[in-house]
Amino acid sequence: MRKFFPVEELARDQRFHQITMKDRMADPRSALGTATGERQRSNRLVPSRPDASQAARALMHGIFVGEIQALEGAGRTCHDFRTQGDAARRAQDEAHGADVDDVDDAVPFALKLDMARQAWDEARHVEISVKLSDWMGSEIGEFAENTVLFQAACSTDPILRLAGVNRALEGLAIDVFTTMKEFGGLAGDPFLEFCEDWMLADEVTHVKMGSDWLRKVTEHDPDRRKKALEFQSVVDKLFSYGGTRSDSQESPIGLARRFRELAGFTDTEVEEIAEVSLAALDERKAAVARMQAAAAVEHTLATN
Amino acid sequence: MADPYQPRPPFAPWDRRELPGLFDVEESARRIGAYKWAEIKLFEALGGWVATVPELDVKMRLGTHCYKHAWHAELWHKRLPELREMNPDRLTKPANDAMVRFVEALTEPEVPERTIEKLVGVYRVFIPHFVAAYTFHKNNTSEITDAPTIRSLHFILQDEMDDWREGEMLLQSLIDTPEEVDRAAAHQARLEKLMVAAGGIAGPGTIGGSAIQAGGPNGSRTHAGGVA
Ligand SMILES: [Fe+2]
Ligand SMILES: [Fe+2]
Repeated sequence: MRKFFPVEELARDQRFHQITMKDRMADPRSALGTATGERQRSNRLVPSRPDASQAARALMHGIFVGEIQALEGAGRTCHDFRTQGDAARRAQDEAHGADVDDVDDAVPFALKLDMARQAWDEARHVEISVKLSDWMGSEIGEFAENTVLFQAACSTDPILRLAGVNRALEGLAIDVFTTMKEFGGLAGDPFLEFCEDWMLADEVTHVKMGSDWLRKVTEHDPDRRKKALEFQSVVDKLFSYGGTRSDSQESPIGLARRFRELAGFTDTEVEEIAEVSLAALDERKAAVARMQAAAAVEHTLATN
Repeated sequence: MADPYQPRPPFAPWDRRELPGLFDVEESARRIGAYKWAEIKLFEALGGWVATVPELDVKMRLGTHCYKHAWHAELWHKRLPELREMNPDRLTKPANDAMVRFVEALTEPEVPERTIEKLVGVYRVFIPHFVAAYTFHKNNTSEITDAPTIRSLHFILQDEMDDWREGEMLLQSLIDTPEEVDRAAAHQARLEKLMVAAGGIAGPGTIGGSAIQAGGPNGSRTHAGGVA
């Protein structure tokens, strides 16, 4: 088995349709709403939204495929990186062309145990999401699967991967589950609220694993830590989904500040993510405005 | 109420545990190091395969089972220092080169069309050999001096049996045609030959046999190299 796995080859049955981030943002059913007409003052996913049922189903499907990718990511981390002290694996990797001097691919045994635990948790989340999707009236494959999570998160450097998967991706999961849990509460759906609450507990644990390991492994390597945190903020920006997640009510998903704190994010880090998310929202709004202006010009030309 | 000062036998009549055991501390640590290495290889393989199998139910089971084997490796990791092995990495190694070749062949299937081979390797070869190695260890180690290992073996064997059954049922649900039966059998035979060459998870003597030599205060002990 290869050491690193390309996103294009993630194995799926025929029900799934995989798309890129660009396709995703062009989907009119995107949780941010349509690009035409007057923009709503609030896009937050609440039951009073006219398209609440469809938007909640779309988000649930997004959670479902996101959980599959999180499971695949955690599994790959168990496989891709050598356990420190595993001489037989080192010899094997070198026989397959690994650089003799490059020892940064080795990770502590306990880190890999955490990743295996995460794989089990994510497998349960897939199980929960399948059942919840069914409960909410949607089917596997009803919405396209955006593979950006796996793509963005699966770095070949273990510390960057931790920052990308366990802090950025799992951090996004905290925000999504908090919003979905609140949605379940407001919509009077105790089943949804109950499940999201359990998944949220797991995600806080996963982010905490990332925060703790990042600190521990880079304890004596400030450069590596800096690089990892920079990578995380790039991924965070990508995961802000063009404004899908931010403190603003215009974003369907809020920023779960309290749970992020529990998971080991500092106040400064939460503020940085808040800023990056708002900037992403503004960028998306400007892009929507440009598209609308272009459409208006096209319409004027066509009618004259 | 019975008189609390009345002498009672230290071992209750129903407690038939015995002192003799086949392994001394050193041999126990060697075996456990080999188990730990093999469990690590198994959870790495299961984790890596998750992304490569298209069948959603299989994908989820692999993720779940990945953790169980990591936990087994963790139990063995914690047991090693209790067996005077203060550097657990030293003994965390394959029983021999043939075991390395076995793991290489086990993890070779990667493309999405080879789920049957992936599952055969784990559930028809590797896990049955874990069950055999652990059962032999549980039934032959001292029931009193090595109770902590026996306790871990009970937990681990429960997992192995559960996973074996689940994996076998997945395989039976995937194998539909005579050609697929042949594919499964051919892959099993290929891996089984490599495992035979390795002598089992802990090397020759994993489940006794000719590598068992008499010796030690408890009647006999095992050494992979046949040295007592
Ligand atoms: Fe998850
Ligand atoms: Fe997670």
